Amino acid sequence: MTGLTAARRKAKARKGIFRELYETFRDGDAGTRLSFLVMGFGSLVKGQVIKGLLYLASQALLVWYLAGFAWQYLRKLGTLGDVGMQRVWSEERQIFVRTPGDNSLLILLFSVLSIMVVLGFLALWRANIRSAYRAQRLKQQGKRLPTFADDIKSMLDERFHLSMLTMPSLMVVAFTLLPTIFMILLAFTNFDQAHQPPGNMFTWVGLDNFRNLFGGHPLIANTFGKVFGWTMAWAVLATFTNYLLGMVVAIMINNKGIKLKAMWRTIFVVTIAVPQFVSLMLMSQILHDQGPLNALLKQFGFIEQSIPFLTDTATARLTILVVNLWVGIPYTMLITSGILMNIPKDLYESASIDGASPARMFFSITLPYMLFVTTPYLITAFVGNINNFNVIFLLTRGGPMVTEYYQAGKTDLLVTWLYRLTVDRQDYSLASTIGIFVFVISAGLSLLVFNLSGSSRREEEFQ
Amino acid sequence: MNTASKPRALRRDLVHALPVIAALAALSLLLPWLHVPAPEGADFARKGINLLLFDRGILRLVPLAVGAALALLLGLSLLGRASRWSVRALVAAFALAVMGGIYTLLTAKVTADASGLMPQPFLIKHLQIGCWAFLLLSLAGLVAALMALRQPATYVVLTAMAVVWLLPILWLLITSLRAEAGAYTPYIIPKGWTLENYTRLFTDTAQFNFPRWYLNTLWVAVITCLVTTTLVLMVAYTLSRLRFPSRRTFLNLGLVIAMFPGFMSMIAVYHILKAVGLAKSLVSLILVYSGSGVLGYTIAKGFFDTIPRSLDEAALIDGASKNTVFWKIILPSSRPIVVYTAITAFIAPWVDFIFVSVIMKDDYANYTVALGLFRMLEREHIYQYFTRFCAGAVLVAIPITLLFIRIQKFYVEGVTGGAVKG
Repeated sequence: MTGLTAARRKAKARKGIFRELYETFRDGDAGTRLSFLVMGFGSLVKGQVIKGLLYLASQALLVWYLAGFAWQYLRKLGTLGDVGMQRVWSEERQIFVRTPGDNSLLILLFSVLSIMVVLGFLALWRANIRSAYRAQRLKQQGKRLPTFADDIKSMLDERFHLSMLTMPSLMVVAFTLLPTIFMILLAFTNFDQAHQPPGNMFTWVGLDNFRNLFGGHPLIANTFGKVFGWTMAWAVLATFTNYLLGMVVAIMINNKGIKLKAMWRTIFVVTIAVPQFVSLMLMSQILHDQGPLNALLKQFGFIEQSIPFLTDTATARLTILVVNLWVGIPYTMLITSGILMNIPKDLYESASIDGASPARMFFSITLPYMLFVTTPYLITAFVGNINNFNVIFLLTRGGPMVTEYYQAGKTDLLVTWLYRLTVDRQDYSLASTIGIFVFVISAGLSLLVFNLSGSSRREEEFQ
Repeated sequence: MNTASKPRALRRDLVHALPVIAALAALSLLLPWLHVPAPEGADFARKGINLLLFDRGILRLVPLAVGAALALLLGLSLLGRASRWSVRALVAAFALAVMGGIYTLLTAKVTADASGLMPQPFLIKHLQIGCWAFLLLSLAGLVAALMALRQPATYVVLTAMAVVWLLPILWLLITSLRAEAGAYTPYIIPKGWTLENYTRLFTDTAQFNFPRWYLNTLWVAVITCLVTTTLVLMVAYTLSRLRFPSRRTFLNLGLVIAMFPGFMSMIAVYHILKAVGLAKSLVSLILVYSGSGVLGYTIAKGFFDTIPRSLDEAALIDGASKNTVFWKIILPSSRPIVVYTAITAFIAPWVDFIFVSVIMKDDYANYTVALGLFRMLEREHIYQYFTRFCAGAVLVAIPITLLFIRIQKFYVEGVTGGAVKG
């Protein structure tokens, strides 16, 4: 039964939307055909009054929205505004008054919004046609048409997915999808400090930002290359040091002879639980040139001069890696603990009979097994480190700043650079371009994980 | 496995090494006294004695001396006949010696300064060499003694790590109780203790209205928690249990959208909120946190995937609607994941400071604690507010720590995903 409907569904999906629409139009009666123009018409003539009126109302709402609100923005989408701020003679007040010009930002934002609204409406329009056609078919077969109450009931059963997904989807569209599309589009504009709405307009510049980033603007391109290099170096080092050392800690705690395992684990977990902004800001205070660590080291007579933990390029990079170990080892410990216990014991037993040393066992048994099982986690962690905003921002703020970089410091990652460009410099177009680049890397790697882990393919296995 | 219950034999070869290590450690304490540069040499004996007698100098050397003496004594006794008990006592002695060694090493300069021997760089240098040698030998002794008992020597490493990991947190606690103001103090133990940092957080609200921020955050966190949990469960259930035409599309879309760096969209979110007149309000925070929280549905979905499908199929055959299945079957058997989702959603507003700063700008009244605390450490405030920042951080960290410890098991499953099922 279910297999049959699934097959039918697949066949239907393969047909394509346009073909389906065409066939509906071909086979439809007058009511169905008119539904293509007047939404809800098919339902209305067949007695599904409430449903029909709702469709009709939604159509009216769209027209009202487009004409009353969206059109003024949509028609300027091509230029992102052509009328700047002006002084206009006001007859009534007999003075020149400033009229606000076009606001490129709002034009772009509301255009994106309107396009999404229209897309949503098209889905509704298709549903309206389907519903009209279904009603027509039912009527032809002499069956009872579903009443509005039936439809409501089906929203809790056959079409439960619709009722469940509508709200969450709207939230995601409003607060993630729409902003993301908006920011992607910004990468193709010249929205920077010199083009700040509402005073100034910005406009489309095609691929200029990408060209600048990849060589067109020597300073930016140079900065991008260096920052990207450090980002990757950081991600590799941070991921692997954390992974290996975290695993070593997990192995130490899991050791058969160790007592009070729960206590050791909790000690490390506590440092995860303390919010990162607290522990990292604390670290930055401790490691400050005049901070307690330097003061104590001087007092103990180990050093004469403060160690520039966070203000010298090489030292700062090393410090960040070490502090990241402090932050990251507990996570790895927590995550690998469970998996380590799953490694078949007999592997170790036979190895120890053969006289293998603990180090040998780690490299020949533990590490290969762990790498095999945790590759997805490792790549996720790698992506997480590429985007590791907190550690860098809270410790060094990207510093030490240098003039050879464009608005970046020696420890800046792409994401912290992006943040600085948007928040301090309002250089949105460049920031968006960097964001797209970061996205391409992260998404590429994440898709790799998704396919590697096969959790998408295996999801039915457990059920 | 059976041998575990029986007392295991000592490792004799190591037992014999123990007294030697102990003796070497004790000898290394004499290292600074072995050689003194000529001009001051004549004076040394007197000053050397001073070193032990001055002010608190003798106190500093007490743990060291006790540790060394114990180790030596026990080490020598081992030359006769070693028992498990004597080796155990040696472990304690070496541990004491390690602590004493660290303490002496750290205070060597202070001690030497006070004794008036500072002009002699040789001595201070060699005094430290002696301390280092003592410390390392005691550590070696400790490890050897543990190994002789057939106990994992990793205790030493774990203890050292535990100290490193807990010290910053301990420092936070201590600083929150410090009476003197100031961010950078050259000492760790405060000169005066007080609870005022905590009380003033709640009474001195003119510039930094901490109680208000705390309530803001609590309010946002509670509502976000409710909204996010509801939405996440809806999405997770639907995508896990229901089969409908656009399901694949939804899954892939969710995956791709979640990969965009959140920073990119922050500015746009701000403008959207401004356009609908919600910028700088707490409602906007709730919306934003819930909106981004929804994308965390994968963990709950993974959990739902593991509930046997036969359960809902049986109910469906009995005529239940999918709605009923959700409420009567799925929800009751997913209490852990509901708790996990709720707690993570609840924690988010407490720890985020970036989104808030973009949305709230300078509207201090609507700050959350994270951003408020963040502001306290800005250059112009840090001197006056650092201790209060610590107090506030403790007040935020305590509830979150307790909540996190509760969900750590699910946290692991969440991070490793379906790929690493135990």
